Amino acid sequence: MIISFKSALKLVGIAIVLFCAAFVCTFFLNFYLDVLPLRDEVTEQMLPLYEAQLATAQMCCAITGGVLTFIACIMALFYVKLYIDEHYKELGTFKALGYSANRLAASFMLFGLSAFVGCALGYGLGHAMMPSIYKWLTIDGLNVEIHYHTGLLFGIVITPTIFLGAVAYLCAYLQLKKPALAILKGQRKQRKIKSNNGSKQNNNSFLKEMCFKTITDNKLLTFFVTFSAFCFSAMIQMGASMESLVDGTMGWMILAIGLVLAGTSAFMALTSLVKNTSQSIAMMKTFGYSLRERVTSIFAGFIPFAILGFVIGTVYQYGLLTLMINLIFKDVGEVPDYSFNVKIMFITLAAFIVTYTAITAIYVAKVNKVSVKQIMLEN
Amino acid sequence: MIKAEHIFKSFNNGITEVLKDISLNISDGDFVVILGASGSGKSTLMNVLSGLEQADKGKITVNEQELTTLNDKQLTEFRKNNIGFVFQQYYLLPHLNVESNIKLGADLVKNHNYAEIIESLGLTDKIKKHPSELSGGEQQRVCIARALAKKPSVLFLDEPTGALDEATGRDVLDYIIKEKERHGFTMIMVTHNQNIAETAHTVIKMNSGKIVEIHTNNKQKTAREIGW
Ligand SMILES: Nc1ncnc2c1ncn2[C@@H]1O[C@H](COP(=O)(O)OP(=O)(O)O)[C@@H](O)[C@H]1O
Ligand SMILES: [Mg+2]
Repeated sequence: MIISFKSALKLVGIAIVLFCAAFVCTFFLNFYLDVLPLRDEVTEQMLPLYEAQLATAQMCCAITGGVLTFIACIMALFYVKLYIDEHYKELGTFKALGYSANRLAASFMLFGLSAFVGCALGYGLGHAMMPSIYKWLTIDGLNVEIHYHTGLLFGIVITPTIFLGAVAYLCAYLQLKKPALAILKGQRKQRKIKSNNGSKQNNNSFLKEMCFKTITDNKLLTFFVTFSAFCFSAMIQMGASMESLVDGTMGWMILAIGLVLAGTSAFMALTSLVKNTSQSIAMMKTFGYSLRERVTSIFAGFIPFAILGFVIGTVYQYGLLTLMINLIFKDVGEVPDYSFNVKIMFITLAAFIVTYTAITAIYVAKVNKVSVKQIMLEN
Repeated sequence: MIKAEHIFKSFNNGITEVLKDISLNISDGDFVVILGASGSGKSTLMNVLSGLEQADKGKITVNEQELTTLNDKQLTEFRKNNIGFVFQQYYLLPHLNVESNIKLGADLVKNHNYAEIIESLGLTDKIKKHPSELSGGEQQRVCIARALAKKPSVLFLDEPTGALDEATGRDVLDYIIKEKERHGFTMIMVTHNQNIAETAHTVIKMNSGKIVEIHTNNKQKTAREIGW
């Protein structure tokens, strides 16, 4: 076995994202399945509300489950790449000894374990909190009892585990099917390098080029930064609007999930950014580049992505809330009055700037500590 | 002018004593080789003399600046204005091409004429290549170009030929000596190779963290003559 249980369980990002997804889907789907057979008991007058609740449950599951599973897959790709980057020597040697890409990639299926942990915990918490959640999902005049649905265990815990394992296998297979020597030379060096042989002198300054190359070399991280800002912006604003619109508990829950997701992806992005660039940072420091110059060349390129994520998040939550209110409550007599909340947007923006500056400051301290001596001792 | 007085340096809270009472003087424009077995503390000495690390005790003065009183930020600024480095493991930035790697040095001092350095190191047709596409000797020449492009007054080289085969090593050494003669900076080269020492003007021999001998070669040999 090339991958140990321990390293398969260390993929915290996947676990956290799927934990959130499983948690939300568990109680919504359970509620959906419990309410579905009660249609006959619903009075004519309550029918629109009943349908609205069903639609809400469906929509929340589809969006949360869909988006977060997609994110978890991207994270799996990220972790597989990271693992292969860090273990290219062993993997290349195995390949040279005659192990097939298929056989090596098969052990990456163990990565599904962290999906299992996340989903199982989310599933468990979903069930644990179900009684209180049912209280505010309730529909007047209907007595919704909690039933246990075995099918959900498969849908929410087992299927994602297998699916993530398969995704990890596929990502690993695609990267390991290269010849053994190519793997042994290391991923970084392997990347197709476009050497244009023109003799045109390039007038960009070194720092500009560093900044640009950091982005193009870490495309996956731009995604995590955008996603992190998106979650922060969308879910805090949505949570806050919900609080005043529908129900407090729901609002707080969305807010908490948003913070967890934003924090996880920001942490993943920043940690691997500092790691990927440590040798460059060390050389820059050795040659005398100031802390400010080092930090700018690494982090500055990501600022537009953070802003982009915030903007998309703002638009998304506005669109989603409008859609939900118009679609779901259109037949219900009392449609809540909803318009874009500028005040919440500005408060979120302020919190966003403060939080992300603070997180970056922590990583700036890490950047300052990276020295050539440390790099030498590692080699 | 580099002056070190009673330098001590240890690691692991004083358990590993690496430099034990080192004193030396290096005059401007000198070519010094620090010679010693692996583990004798050569790299550590180079690190404290170049302001990469602080000594625990003692006084180091380089170009009238007392390094031992500077903080991390001031040391960085000091290195920017005075020092160039070449390492055994190259440490080129893998995602940047040769030209951009050299600009890492050149931009620090706003040197726009680095093309001349590229040419004299025989790298003109390599500037658009990435480090992984170059041989070891070529990579080391890029490191030398990167260091020289920032016009250092003192150049430190830590086992610059350590990762190269003999012929390539001699070739690189040739380039180094040629550049030293062209630019006249102070050069301090760390090595465990006795033969290389014969190319230097001053040889400082180290053993277990102490200087055991300093001598001057009246006639310096060229890289071709050392028969290594
Ligand atoms: N940061 C460090 N922490 C612990 N020990 C170190 C550190 N740096 C150097 N040493 C130890 O100091 C000794 C001398 O190292 P070094 O100066 O690199 O020797 P040389 O360059 O002559 O081979 C070695 O035994 C090494 O293990
Ligand atoms: Mg050494």
